[in-house]
Amino acid sequence: MSSQYSCLIVEDSPMMRQLLVFALARVKNLRVTEADDGIDGMRKLANAKYDLIITDINMPIMDGLKLVKRVRTDPIHRDTPIIIITTEGSQEDRQRALALGANAYITKPIQAPQVIAKVKELLKIEG
Amino acid sequence: MTSKPRGRTKPEVPQAEPDLLARRDDFIQTFFRKGAQLTEELLKEDEALRGRMQNLEAENAKLRAQLRSDTAIRELLAKIELLEAEKRQLLDRFDNAGAFGRDFAQRFADIELENSKLASLYVASYQLHSTLDLRSILRQLKELLAQFIGARSFAIYLADDTKQELRAVASEGVPVASLRPVVAGTGPIGRAWNSGHATWVDGDSTAGSVGAPAACIPMRLDERSVGVIAVFATFEQKPEFVELDFELFRLLGAHAASALAAARLFAQHGTRIGPLEPFLELE
Repeated sequence: MSSQYSCLIVEDSPMMRQLLVFALARVKNLRVTEADDGIDGMRKLANAKYDLIITDINMPIMDGLKLVKRVRTDPIHRDTPIIIITTEGSQEDRQRALALGANAYITKPIQAPQVIAKVKELLKIEG
Repeated sequence: MTSKPRGRTKPEVPQAEPDLLARRDDFIQTFFRKGAQLTEELLKEDEALRGRMQNLEAENAKLRAQLRSDTAIRELLAKIELLEAEKRQLLDRFDNAGAFGRDFAQRFADIELENSKLASLYVASYQLHSTLDLRSILRQLKELLAQFIGARSFAIYLADDTKQELRAVASEGVPVASLRPVVAGTGPIGRAWNSGHATWVDGDSTAGSVGAPAACIPMRLDERSVGVIAVFATFEQKPEFVELDFELFRLLGAHAASALAAARLFAQHGTRIGPLEPFLELE
């Protein structure tokens, strides 16, 4: 029996969320949950355990970098892989996100195959 | 001293001549000697022949062994040739399978990319028509331009029918107040509005400006341009436009105007659909 994985998408743009959900529908046995912003994301993380978190950086209320910082101090999710997605392409932002504990960094505009490959890599899903 | 013959005695033979006897003895001796010599020669010859025969037999055995070995080698060579042919066949099949696998992987990647494009187009269209609130549509348009196309700075111009000019109603990366109205037919934006054809730069799309946008997409409604989306420049990580962008330009050209017009009309009617008669009269 194949393992069931769960992924939390934290993204304030409904358009990007929908696109990510479409892309991740191509990954077998992956259940996706959506959160509108960092606060909503933290609320969902408090109620369930996720195998992967995908978060935007630029969000109102709580941005992605703060979310990464909070997740890394959370005893349940401190080891959960995190992918940062943002429009910012600068090396500085990338390094900041990675220094805070993000595992991977994807810049917008995103390409579904790239997201799928990164998700599979972090969840160690073959094929 | 002489000895007497015992028992029966030989019959007396007449005495031969001494010379004759000597010759006879000589003849006999010669005869026997020659016989002995001949025998000896025959024995020697026999021995030589035996040796020769042994040599020949040994040589024969050697030749037979070599022949057997040659046959074995021939058989081995034939087998090697067979195996080589089999190996070539297997390599050919392996190459074919490899080529098929590569072709399949390429087709899979192409299909995945096509899926990704269709998903982007579906999401863009879905989000654009998911609301009739003008502000929301403009926000969706801005998100689409920034997040799907990778536009760093852009503006959405709408036509003011009374003044025959375009005015910026929303922008990103450039303050909307700083954008001057565009007269029909002037500059890249005005020309795109007049012609109704989208234009974009080949190559570097990051270095455009308000005066020389990287792309101008006329928004069409019933064969009429009602505005222009101008992408001034793209993000660094989006160095040039790709095939999906051209599909998105087409989608924006056809759908953005109708979404904006519908939202404006809906707002003018107090965000109500109104009486159903006009719909019922269509039947």
